[in-house]
Formats: sequence, structure tokens, C-alpha cells
Amino acid sequence: MTMPFRLNRCRIATWSGLTLLLLSVVGCAPPPGTHYRLDTLSPRSALTQRFYDIFVEVTVIDIIVLIIVVAIFVLALMVFSTRTGEPTEFSWRTDVFLETAWIVIPMILVIAIAIPTVKTIIETQPYTWSPDTLEVRVIAHQWWWEFRYPSTGVVTADEVHIPVNRQINFAMVSRDVIHSFFMPALGGKRDVVPGQENHITLTANTPGEYWGQCTEFCGDSHANMRFRVFVDTPEQFDAWTKHQLSAPVHPTEGLAAEGAKIFADAPCAVCHTVRGISGLSPQYTYGFRGPDLTHFGSRGTIAGAIMDNTPENLALWIHNPDAVKPGANMPTLGLSGHDLNALVAYLESLK
Amino acid sequence: MAAQPRPIHAEQTSYLEGGGIYGWLTTIDHKRIAVLYGVTAVFFMALGGFEAMAVRTQLMYPNNHFLSAQTYNQFFTTHGLTMIFLVIMPLETGFFGNFLIPLQIGARDVAFPRLNALSYWIFLFGAITLNLGWLYGGLPNGGWFGYANLTERYYSPGPNIDFFDLGLLVLGVSSVMSALNFFVTIINMRAPGMTFFRMPLFIWSILVTVILILLAFPSLTVGLIFLFMDRYFDTHYYRVIAGATPILWQHLFWIFGHPEVYIMILPAFGLISEVIPVFSGKPLFGYPMMVYAIIAIAFLSYGVWGHHMFATGMGPVADMTFSVTSLLIAIPTGIKIFNWLFTVWGGRLRFTTAYLFALAFVIQFTIGGLSGMMHASPPIDLEQTDSYIIVAHFHYVLGLGALFAILAGFYFYWPKVTGRMLSETLGKWHFWLAVWSFNATFFPMHFLGELGMPRRIYTYAPHMGWDFWNKWETWNAYIIALSFIPLLLNIYWSLTNGERATEDPWDARTLEWSVPTPPPIYNFAEVPTVTARDAFWVAKYGSVEASGLTQSAPAIAPALVDVSKIHIPAPSLYPLLMGLGIFGMALGMLIGWYRVIFTAMALLVFSAIAMAFEYPNWGEENPHAVAESFLGLDSRKVGMWSFIGSETVFFACLISTYMVYKSRSLGVYDAGILNIPLTSFSTFVLLTSSLLMVLALAAFQRDDHKWGTIWLIGTALFGCIFLGGQVYEFGDFWLEHGMVFNANLFSQCFYTLVGFHGFHVFIGVVWLLVMAFAGIFGKLNAKRSLAVEICGLYWHFVDIVWVVIFVLVYLMRTVKGA
Amino acid sequence: MSESAVEHVTAPAHHAAAESHHPTAVQYLVVAGILTVLTVCEIGVYYIPALQSVLVPLLLILSAGKFYLVAAYYMHLHFDSRIFSGLFFFPLTLAALILISLTLLLGFLAHHPGP
Repeated sequence: MTMPFRLNRCRIATWSGLTLLLLSVVGCAPPPGTHYRLDTLSPRSALTQRFYDIFVEVTVIDIIVLIIVVAIFVLALMVFSTRTGEPTEFSWRTDVFLETAWIVIPMILVIAIAIPTVKTIIETQPYTWSPDTLEVRVIAHQWWWEFRYPSTGVVTADEVHIPVNRQINFAMVSRDVIHSFFMPALGGKRDVVPGQENHITLTANTPGEYWGQCTEFCGDSHANMRFRVFVDTPEQFDAWTKHQLSAPVHPTEGLAAEGAKIFADAPCAVCHTVRGISGLSPQYTYGFRGPDLTHFGSRGTIAGAIMDNTPENLALWIHNPDAVKPGANMPTLGLSGHDLNALVAYLESLK
Repeated sequence: MAAQPRPIHAEQTSYLEGGGIYGWLTTIDHKRIAVLYGVTAVFFMALGGFEAMAVRTQLMYPNNHFLSAQTYNQFFTTHGLTMIFLVIMPLETGFFGNFLIPLQIGARDVAFPRLNALSYWIFLFGAITLNLGWLYGGLPNGGWFGYANLTERYYSPGPNIDFFDLGLLVLGVSSVMSALNFFVTIINMRAPGMTFFRMPLFIWSILVTVILILLAFPSLTVGLIFLFMDRYFDTHYYRVIAGATPILWQHLFWIFGHPEVYIMILPAFGLISEVIPVFSGKPLFGYPMMVYAIIAIAFLSYGVWGHHMFATGMGPVADMTFSVTSLLIAIPTGIKIFNWLFTVWGGRLRFTTAYLFALAFVIQFTIGGLSGMMHASPPIDLEQTDSYIIVAHFHYVLGLGALFAILAGFYFYWPKVTGRMLSETLGKWHFWLAVWSFNATFFPMHFLGELGMPRRIYTYAPHMGWDFWNKWETWNAYIIALSFIPLLLNIYWSLTNGERATEDPWDARTLEWSVPTPPPIYNFAEVPTVTARDAFWVAKYGSVEASGLTQSAPAIAPALVDVSKIHIPAPSLYPLLMGLGIFGMALGMLIGWYRVIFTAMALLVFSAIAMAFEYPNWGEENPHAVAESFLGLDSRKVGMWSFIGSETVFFACLISTYMVYKSRSLGVYDAGILNIPLTSFSTFVLLTSSLLMVLALAAFQRDDHKWGTIWLIGTALFGCIFLGGQVYEFGDFWLEHGMVFNANLFSQCFYTLVGFHGFHVFIGVVWLLVMAFAGIFGKLNAKRSLAVEICGLYWHFVDIVWVVIFVLVYLMRTVKGA
Repeated sequence: MSESAVEHVTAPAHHAAAESHHPTAVQYLVVAGILTVLTVCEIGVYYIPALQSVLVPLLLILSAGKFYLVAAYYMHLHFDSRIFSGLFFFPLTLAALILISLTLLLGFLAHHPGP
């Protein structure tokens, strides 16, 4: 039995409508020129600029191919949908010219994509660095980032500072499971694997604050493992390094001093270091070592860069870490009221 | 103990009639098994859909608290696992494959009907194992890819990952079984004249798919066995502390995982290639190129797994290789898309619901394929991988691709399966709702990906540019759920009030439409003789080119044969019991009750033996064996060889792991411990046993069953000596040297590899003894020498695996870095 | 598999031919003799110090010879339908490729020792 279809004009209208719809959806893409915290379309280093250029090229190719396919498709439907009931004299089964065409054309496109791809791979995966390269060791933990500067000895967490226009080599390794270090504007992403050192080498070209996030599923709080990258001018960077290397002022009176005592007495010091004051050396803190808190008060964020560093947020976090970051390795200490406030005051004083 | 075969009345009109519930539980009819697969998969589709809705609801607003992080992680993981292993694969291979393969190639059933039922039951129990977390302990929560070392007991202490591990192992067994079955069926059971290049494209796609299953699943199985050992026996396959690397899992997983993508999409290509020509009123454009394209895609799919791992730091050489091979897939895929378009071009189009879904598939799959070209380029991939643009990509390929193809196939084949027509009006409602909602949900995910939204995050901060599209997608995801309401109404309406379908409601082209609707249990009263591609069209209109307006021959030739004489294999309960046995073993492992494991094992062995005795005359004859064979080969022999092919990949993965980990191993034990004189002796023993095996075969072939039996016993004896040597070797290592199973990477890899080989030898010895008993009781003779030959093939395969192990593991023990 | 399968399009259904020409017992014994000699060579190569530098290629060649003999004569690939050869050698090639590429990927190409 054949299904009779009479509403041909309607159908043409629907198909054109569908095409329009597709186009309008495409048109709703984020407008050019707007920048969001993690968007991959605002390259701020030579490395990501190369990624972006290939992306644009492939996108253009993709759109052209899609337009051709949709055009043939819509044309075929519009022309031949009216032929219900007409006899066909011929039955077109194969055509050597066409078949060759759609082998050769995709091959050209593939080559057009492959050449810049291979070129970029060769040029962006060097394992040699220029002498003045700054090495930053990235150590991933469930669920926070540790940053170490071997040349100066600075240790920090979740917020990394790098100088502008200088080659940076992020040397990355994980302490537990596989993570991925993603900073779209500066370096794309690279997995951070236990037992294997991976690298991202980049030169940032614009000072500013950039966001990053873990992008490899790493357990309960995978979503809560963010970080910030501050691209500083050389002067700012030197000042920051100097500040980080200085010992924090130990509070001697007031709420903060009480907090310091709580910090040392409570299990905090088992995992956290405040240089010059407390903290066990790493070999004793096995398993879950927490962030270095030496200059905690100078950081903008806490708990894997998911919250601003305010006393309220900090109290919330210390009171019940699991509620803020599910599965967090930091235990609930049962601190509340005065003790909690004292501890918060102490930590916030560690500028 | 053997149940008497219950008589089946071949004059039954429809395969759906008769038998009651017991009939469905014991069925070995491929069409009923297809329906069982279909119903199960639809149930799990509802479950997976529910999980997707929950996940989308959680993502509707930033910092939302609809689901906890733990629940979210369980839901997105199980959504993926469910849709891949319990919906798309069972629908495409299980439902359409089972239903259509025999009907399209002109066969009465698949090659091994009992094995087919067994595959289904194992699939069902595997699916239940995977979902046990609903009852206790939580669903799998490591992502469908289950990246080690997050899945280690230390990081995932709960039973979640055990459900994942054991569930996938059980499902893998089912997939490999049905793949083997379908492979033999397509190779061997085709109707006379159905040459390879006259097969419908769906059959081609399934043929290539099952080859992929056979050769890809072993890799997953090896990865899962390692994970199982790590979790249960405290080995170190993915533990950095012992020198291992979790990247090994990624390789093993993606060696399976990328072919798996084509396992899901090739049958979809096949379905589309059936639907489009019928409603275009034209034969498929460029059929040979379509076939070559499928084969090319399958070949390439084994060389591209690294493109899932560009971010892991494989190094520039690997990055470039995998990038170029991945890009090459665009060429055969392009061929397919343009050939579909030109099948439409110049046709007489009939816009049925099935056709609409098939047409939508072509465009939507193109979108998914094009974004795939981006990710094939590592520089782009390093920005985009693990972001929502990947989610958009594979939902376009699998959701708007494979699922739309399944829906096209559903609307197309529903009349044949049930004997009733669906309402076209409700179908159109379904189609337009689906096209709108799926596109509106998944297209903006490209934007989210460009805006950097990572995958698998249960929460996100506001003002990242993600707020609007997430809300938009969630509302449209609800419309996806709604879009299935017309479908459900349609099914209900069709089953109760639907118009009775004729044999050929769509004026179709292939053989399945030449049988009555719904098909009788024996499919074809008379096995058709095929003279051309589009065999049924040619039968109706005289030639493939015919316009289809004037019928030259009656569509259905009246049956000239007495259908009551057609041999129908008797139904059997044992596949279900065997499936229960495997389920019991997995369950026992999960709860750690060894009594359960052994009881289940006993059930498994009992039903295997009982099933063997169910064959007519206690297994003496196999009426299917050669009579219906296309190539004149015995199906069992083809099956054995395809099994050996699959095993080859299994051992390759084990040996690779040994080779890689040998040089990474830490601690005191290394290959220096190996005993060369002893294993040299074992090698001679095993080689001699192979000689005895062929002598036994030669003896049976000349009907000398006395010497045949003696040689068989000799073979088994030499196998036992080999095993004895191995037991001595292991005991020596274990007791004298203290090299326990999980002492270090070397010890665990050595014990696993050589132990698995020893296990194969053990199975071979048991098989040989069974054959020897058959020989003693005079059941073996020249006519049945094939049984000995097949046993011999297995035995020689075990022998050549040892040839490789002896050289790579033993004689090259001192070679570093190999 | 697929290619040899395609070739069979032109030559379907040799019903009788497939099972007939199996080797005789004498041939089996000859093959067994060669296998023994090859194995003795393998072990010899292992124990002769002078050959250590070419150990790997020699062993690979010798074992490939054994592999082929068992597959071709004991498993009758030499005599049976070519479809069986395809069914064995296609997966075998794939297995070899997996072995080589995994050894390269995890052994040489991406070996960055951690800190």
C-alpha cells in the first residue's frame, strides 16, 4: 500500500522551516567578542592562538560541507517530493564520476586539516626549553591543585602566578588519580597522570586573571576542582614571589592568637603547613596532604577555587567540608562557635 | 535428565502464537529472542532516560542541589553504560540483528539457536548485574569509561565499580557469543544464490559489526579482568606505586572503545540503507562503494583509539599517527552520506515516519561527523576534549544518529514484527517532536563546549556564559521525554486497534517482506533462491531497475512444500539456567559467598551437559550442519575458527601487558626466575600432544576408532603432563621463592598470562577426555570425525599460543625493554 | 577476513572439496620432526653465548616457523577453505599490531618518568 501525500506545499514549507530553524540555532552561538571565564575562543598565548587558528579553519570547512550536504538534501526533497505517482523511467544506481568526486574531495579536506595539525604537533610538543623558562610544578590532588616553583621554593595552592611574555613550563604530575589541567585561554588542557610527568609549555601574552578547572573525571568533587592563573607583569610577579617567600606574621594576641593555638592543637597541622610555624614534613602526612597555608590570607579563593576567600565562606568550609565539597578529604572537626571564629581569624591573618 | 523435545507444530501461522510464558522462557526462535531483546532494551531505555532527565534537572541552574554529587556521578555513569550496552547494542544487534539476519539472508534460524537464547539470558543477567546498585550500594560511578586508577578499591571502596566490572564482563560474554553466532549465520546460512554482493546492506553492516565485536571485546575483557584482580586480589595492574601505569587501562579500554563506537553506528547505517531505498523507490546508490566504505571504516576503527587519549601525553609521534588515521575515517563516512543523498535524488519519495527518521538521521549524523573531524586534530582536541562539545558530538552520532536509525527501523519493521500497522499521524507527531527536542537539547552543547564547560561536572558557577543554555537544554530534554508519549500511544493503539499489516506494506525490496506477516516460526516455507540484489523487488517486478509500478509476478509464491516436515529445533530451558548460573557466579563474587559461586558453577555445568544431550540422538547428528550451508562448510567449524580469532586478540592483550610491565616491574622478582629446562620439556610435551591429536583425527577419518581413541587418551595424557609441569613450576615459584601472585608486576603478569594459558589447556584436556569417552563407547567414526577435528583446532591453538609464550616470555626473558 | 570473503563470491559452495585433502599420518610425523628440530634450535640459540646479539630475530623467525607449521598442517589451513585462513590470519595480524603498538606506546613513545 502506498501512502498518499497531498500537502506538498505544506511539506516544502516545513522543510524550509526546519532549515531556517537550524540556521537560527546556529545564529544563537555566543556572539563574537564576548569573553567568559572559561571560553576557548579567547586565546591569550601563542600556543592557544595556534589551537584557535586550526579550530577556525576546521570550523569553516565543516560549515561549508554542512551547507553542501543540506543544500543537496533540501533540493532533493523539494524536487522529488512532488513526484509521487509519476513513473520513473530511469533508476540511477551508480555513477563513477560522482563516486570518485566524494572520495577525492573529502581527501583534500582531510589533507587540508592534517597539514596544520601535524605542523602544530611538531612545533608545540618540544621537550627542550629555553634557558630562562620558568618551571612551575603542578601537583594534582583530589580535589585541589598544588603549585610549586622549584627555582624559588614558593609553594601555593589553587592560584598560580606566572609572568607575562616569559616561557612557562608547567610540569604536571598527580598524587592520586588522573586529573586534567585545563586553562582554555592560556594552554588548553593536558591530563595530569600519576607516575607520569606531562607538560604544557606556553608564553602568556596578556596580563590578567584566568580561570581553569579539572576536566578529567576524578571522583565525587570533580566539579569542585578549579583554579586561577594570574598573569602578572614581571614586577608584580617578582613582588608576589618575594611576598610568598617571606614568613607570615605570627599573631601574638587576640582572636587570631587563639586560632593559632587551635590550628596547632587540632589535627589541622597533620596535613597543612604554615611555614615557620607549624606543619609536619611531607613524609609524615601521608595520603591526604592539604594545601600549604603559609600565605592563605592573601589568596582570593578557598576549597579548590570554588568560593571567595571570605571569613563566612571559610567558616562554612571548616565547619563541614563535606557539605561544601562532597567527598572532601578534609575531616569535619566539629569546631563551632568561638573556636571556629578564632581559627578563621587566624587563617585570614596569614596574609 | 534430558527433557524430551516438545513437539512444535510447524503449521502454526505466526511465531508470536502459542507456548505461553513458558514458551517465551524456553524459546530458541530468533524472532522471539529478538522481541525479548527489544522489550528488555526498551525497559532500560526508560531507565536510562530517567537518569538523563535527573542529570539534566541537576544542571538546570548553577549551584543546584537537586542531586548530590555522588548521585549525579552514578546517574551520568549509568546513563552512559545503559544507553550503550543495554539500549543501542541490544536494539541494533540484539533486536534488529536477531530478527532480520535469518529473514534477510533466507535462512530458517541462526546457526546456533540455543547459543542465541543463551546470549539473550546472559545479556539480561549482565544488565541486572550492572543495575544491582539500585538495590544496594549505589550504581557504578566511575564514568562509562571507568578510568583507572579512580576505579581501584582504594579510591572507590564501595561495590559500585564491582557492578560495573562484573556487569560488563558478563555482557561481554553475551556480546561475543551472539557475534560469533551471527557471524557463522551470515557466512554460512545464506540462501542459495545470496552471494556476498547480493546481501542487503544491513547484513553487511551486521557482518562487519560482529567482526568488530569479536575482535574488540577481548581487549575490554582483559582490562576488566585486570581491574577485577586489582579490586579482589590486590594486584597492581593500575597502581603507580608498583611501577604500573593507569594509562594501560585507557589503551585496553579504547582499543575496545573505538570499535565499540562503530559497533553502535554501523548497524544504524545498515538500517538507514534499508529504509531509504524503499521509500525513495530506488535501489541504493553506489551499493559496492557502500560496502567498501563499511569495511574501510571497520579497518580504520582499530587504528584510531589513541584519539581518545590525545590529552594523556602520548608523545608527538603517536599524536600525529592517531590524528591522521582518525581524519581518514571522514572519507568512507562521506561516501556513505553522499550515497544516501543520491539514493533520494531522482526517487519517488513517500514520506512515511520511517523515511522521515531516516532522512533526519542523514543530516544529524553529518553534523556529528563534522564535529568529530575537529576532535581528530589534537590541537583542537586539547581545547575541546572532556568538554560539552564532546557530549554534543556523540549525542549527535549516537542519540540523533543511532537512535534515530533505530526509530526509523522501528517504524519500518513494526508491521513485520507484530503484524499490525502503526498510526502515521502519531508517528509524525513523534518525529517532529523528536527532531525539535533532540536538536534543541544537543546543538547548544556545542556552544557550552566552546564556552569551556567541562563534562561530568555536577555543578557549576554562575556567570560563566553557561546559565541560559543549560536551562534551555533541560527544558528541551523534558520535551525529548514527552516526544516518546506519541510513540507509546502509537504502540498501544496499534496493538489494540491497528490495521492488520499485509506481507509487504511498504512495497519493499528485500526477502524479509516476502514471508507472511508476522512470519511463521520456520520463516520460509521454501528456502528462496536468490538471483540478484534486492531479491524480493526482482521477484515482484522482474529487475532491480524496474520502476515498481507494474508487478510482473505474484509477490508471495504459494508454498509447495509440506511445512509440517520442516525441522524446528525444540525449545530449551537450559539457556536460561546457564544464564542464571553465570549470574549466580557474578553475584557470589559480589557478596563474597563462595557457596553461591560453586552452586552457580554446578548449575552452569549441569545445564551445559543437559543442553548437549538435548540435541537429537544425544548429539550424534546436527541436522543444520552442512545441509543448509552456503559455502559447504560446517557451521561448528566456522564458529570454532572465529572463536580462535577472538582468542588471538585476548592473548595479544595479555602478552602486551606482560611485555610492557616486565620492564617496569619493581622488587626482587623478575624473569630471571623462569625455569628454561623445565619449560623446554613442557614445550616438547605440548608439541607431541599436538602430533597425537592429528594422529587421532587421521585414525577417526579412516574409521579406525580403536587407535583414534588411544591417540585421544594419549593427547589428554600429554596435556596432563604439561599441566603437571606448570603446577610444579608455579608451586616452586610460590613456595620455594615466595613469589606470591601479587608480589610485583612481573609475578602477577606472569601468573595471569601463563595461568590463563594453563586454564585453556585444562579445558582442552576435559574436552579431550569427553571425546575419548565418546570414542570408547563407539560414538565416533569417520562421519563424525569433524567433532574430533574441532576439538583438535582448539587444542592446536592452545599449542601455538604456547609457542609464542615460550619464546616471548621464557627464551627472551633477559631481553630488556621488549 | 572480509577480503578473502569477497573473493568467495565468484566461487561458492565446494561441498565436497572442503573436507577431503587432509594430510596423512606420515606427513604429520614429518611436520612433528621439523617442529622438534626447530624447538631444539630455539633452545640452542638461547644457550649459545655467541648468538646473544641476534637472539631476538633468530627466536622470532624460528617460532614463526613453528607457528606456521602447526597452523598450516595440524590445523589444516593449508588444505582447508581459504575462508578459515582469513578467519585466523586477520585477527592474528590485528593482534600483532596491538602487541607492537602497545609496546611502543607504553614502552618507548611516552616514557616520562615521574618525579
